Amino acid sequence: MSYAYLFKYIIIGDTGVGKSCLLLQFTDKRFQPVHDLTIGVEFGARMITIDGKQIKLQIWDTAGQEAFRSITRSYYRGAAGALLVYDITRRETFNHLTTWLDDARQHSNSNMVIMLIGNKSDLESRREVKKEEGEAFAREHGLVFMETSAKTAANVEEAFINTAKEIYEKIQEGVFDINNEANGIKIGPQHSPTNPSLPGAGGAGGSQGSSCC
Amino acid sequence: MEYFRSGLKSVLGTPAPGTQPTGAETVERLVSRVSTSTLLEDRRDACRALKALSRKYRLEVGAQGMDVLRQVLELDRSDCEIIGYCLDTLCNITSKEVFEEEHESNINMKVNVGEQFTEMFIKNTENVTLVLSFLEEYDFRVRWPAVKLLTSLLASKPKEIQDIILVSPMGVSKLMDLLVESREVIRNDALLLLINLTKSNANIQKIVAFENAFDRLFDVIREEGFTDGGIVVEDCMLLMLNLLKNNTSNINFFKEGSYVQKLAPMFVLPDNIEEIGWSPQKVSNMHCVLQLVRTLVSPNNPVQIVTSCQKTMRNANLLEALCDILMASGVPADILTETINTVGEVIRGNLTNQEYFANVMAPSNPPRPAIVVLLMSMVNEKQPFSLRCAVLYCFQCFLFKNEIGQEQVVQTLLPSSTNSALTTGQLLCGGLFSNDCLSNWFSSVALSHTLIENPAQREQLLRVLLATNLGAQPVSLLHQCSVYLQHTTKLQAKIGILMLLAMWMSHCSQAVQIFLNVPGAMAFLTAQTSASEYDNNEEILQGLCAFIMGLCVAFNDNSVQNYSKENLSQLIEKRVGTETYCKKLGEISRHEVYAKAAKQPQIKAKHSSELLLEFEFCKLFKALEPVVIKALGVQRDLSNGMSELSLSEHENALLLQYKELIRDQDKKLQDLQKNLNNMHRENQDLKAQIEELRQTNSQLHDQNTLLKAQMQLSTGTTAVNEPCDKIQQLEAELVEKDAELERIRKDQDDLLELLTDQDTKLNTFKNRLKELGETIDDADSEDNNSLGSDNEM
Repeated sequence: MSYAYLFKYIIIGDTGVGKSCLLLQFTDKRFQPVHDLTIGVEFGARMITIDGKQIKLQIWDTAGQEAFRSITRSYYRGAAGALLVYDITRRETFNHLTTWLDDARQHSNSNMVIMLIGNKSDLESRREVKKEEGEAFAREHGLVFMETSAKTAANVEEAFINTAKEIYEKIQEGVFDINNEANGIKIGPQHSPTNPSLPGAGGAGGSQGSSCC
Repeated sequence: MEYFRSGLKSVLGTPAPGTQPTGAETVERLVSRVSTSTLLEDRRDACRALKALSRKYRLEVGAQGMDVLRQVLELDRSDCEIIGYCLDTLCNITSKEVFEEEHESNINMKVNVGEQFTEMFIKNTENVTLVLSFLEEYDFRVRWPAVKLLTSLLASKPKEIQDIILVSPMGVSKLMDLLVESREVIRNDALLLLINLTKSNANIQKIVAFENAFDRLFDVIREEGFTDGGIVVEDCMLLMLNLLKNNTSNINFFKEGSYVQKLAPMFVLPDNIEEIGWSPQKVSNMHCVLQLVRTLVSPNNPVQIVTSCQKTMRNANLLEALCDILMASGVPADILTETINTVGEVIRGNLTNQEYFANVMAPSNPPRPAIVVLLMSMVNEKQPFSLRCAVLYCFQCFLFKNEIGQEQVVQTLLPSSTNSALTTGQLLCGGLFSNDCLSNWFSSVALSHTLIENPAQREQLLRVLLATNLGAQPVSLLHQCSVYLQHTTKLQAKIGILMLLAMWMSHCSQAVQIFLNVPGAMAFLTAQTSASEYDNNEEILQGLCAFIMGLCVAFNDNSVQNYSKENLSQLIEKRVGTETYCKKLGEISRHEVYAKAAKQPQIKAKHSSELLLEFEFCKLFKALEPVVIKALGVQRDLSNGMSELSLSEHENALLLQYKELIRDQDKKLQDLQKNLNNMHRENQDLKAQIEELRQTNSQLHDQNTLLKAQMQLSTGTTAVNEPCDKIQQLEAELVEKDAELERIRKDQDDLLELLTDQDTKLNTFKNRLKELGETIDDADSEDNNSLGSDNEM
């Protein structure tokens, strides 16, 4: 179970948009139709492969309710990626995105990759937010965008993996300081930081060769 | 002390000769100096003096100085020295501990003065945030007292401080950064602070874990030399325990983060451990590590997590390491006990791990399976009580959901087994009938666990024969148990055997049959159950006997002549009485021993006399108590002179009848439900209609009133208008008439004037005529003239 990198994710967004369901679908390949309120924060993990490398994703699924907001804020700083989720069948969850984004930007490290997710794409008949609107919002704020369905599993894998790819690319570009664990990235146990073929500490634009391992 | 005095003198100036200022006065002057002095040096000196006085005159300093100290923290934060004094002073006055100096000065001091000052200080949550911010200051004089102050506040008001830190931005992060602090005293104090902070607060526990606590802690543990390290290792383990206990999310994180593997070096014992021995600290550290392992695989955790943790532990060779400790020599008894418990929970319900454990061999001569060696300790009077309990628990865990293991144990007792070596079965049988009643109890319970949810082994165990005396007929194990039950005088042994019998006879009519054939068995049960007085836990014994009697009814196949279902229930009714019977049965679950045992699978008893009931038996009892009562109830209803055959037939017929009835009722119920639904819907519709009508009605009503109002308004104005018009008309007419009248009057005046003129003229002419000599009839002429003049007009 060794890995090249470990990324920490958080999932944020209004209550009931399907954050926990996305996580459950991703880690367990299951769908839980009954809404069970998340209390505080729950943890999940899975291994993925990018560019032939094993990458471990550690995901903290946060409670969407306002009451937990101050608690969940504690998780922004240490995360490398965030999935910002809204519900395409509830306009207000889309309207709240700006608040979420401000909050995330304010408390996280500036390099955190944020993926915007319009969930419940299976409920086309009840759609209230057009796909174009999501795309426009993402473009405006420099986010990656995807519509998913935690129920049918459509795009769920992709959402998590694309976020990881984005982070991975940033590492390759030397944007992330991978030796600072506060960034939500860890190098695998066998990949010591002294390994010359990995982007070194603080070496922005350093060695970009990814042919190792 | 002299130093302080001289310091005080320099701050306060020399006191007036002959008068010694009281403590309160001194504090007052110092406080005013801190708040009014413009020179930083003066404020600093005053703060230093306050700090020195804050133990002896805690009340005074706290009451007068709290606000000033708070101000200093805000305004003088660039000066590390004064901040350090302030924090230290606050730490002293909010401390829970009662200082020695205090006693000298104020004997009847209130006990919780520190708590009150804490409350005052944290009332403004900003203050805590302020103290947290001092953690970022690298200067030792600030950072260390800040940690100590937080610890002190936390000790007095844990919940409040937890809540404040939880919502203050980066609060936990700042604390976590202290774990990489190079100055060990700060790191160690921060560790203690975090231990207290994470107590029973899942949210903080999760954030601390998220902030890489496990990595940091394992780093510290490694630096300190794993279990050979000092108390810091123990503190690290305690913090980890806090983070994991009952926190599924963190356990999952711990497992997924490959931290289980990092535990492995903790179990490595040096080769020369026997020579160097176990230091008390190593024992403590080891205890914590074992606790940690148990927290991960605790039977209270969700099964999914337990199973995957168990698997990880096997793959990381933790199970192997644990078994090594189990078989090592020179291990202190309490560590050995805890290791046995831990091994139990690591294998509990996990077939692969159970198989691994079954194959562990002890390095004895001849080599024996570890299980056998452990059981030897269990049935050995000389072993410590807690160790024997642990062995039983471990053995139970080994058999839990392990049909193969159950079969293997029973197999060792069967006649076919030719193994001459000491076996588990032999040990248990030996224990069952030994003179040590605790061994009886342990062995009964252990043996009963080979039968849990395993009907095949219940029947297999019936085949076990024992050679009692040389040359005598071998008797069955069940028979021997029943005989022993009647002979032994020890309560613990009786209860143990009864629990074994209960497990054996439940859902096994063959066992019931054999039991009923044991001479005196039934009489013994009846006597116990109908006994009216008891002392010292004997109510449990009576309850158990009642339970066994009930099982004999419920799982009776009517193959024993004198003890058919019917006979037995009549026996109970006549000899014991149904009410008494139920009362005795109820005694079991009412007893505190039952509640205690049913709580968790592990046997938790401090003293051997507390061992009476056991977890799995409680489960069995809970499931079968209603069955037993029902069996008796049904029997009683049907015992109205019916023979056995017709009984079952009748039963069948009755059953069918009832089924029919139920089906009918079900159908009716459904129909009614449907009707009800329809009614509901209709009702709803009608309600909606009514509502609609009501609305239109009110609308109409509104419109009506509106119209009415309008109408009234309009008619009102016309009515008023008409006379008005008339009046105007009349007024106009009046004016017209007035004008006319005026004109006529004027005309009349003119005419009158004219008439007077004419009259004058006429008179003139008359006079002339008279002068001219004309005679004129005065009167006539006058009249005619006037008449004529009128006509002219």
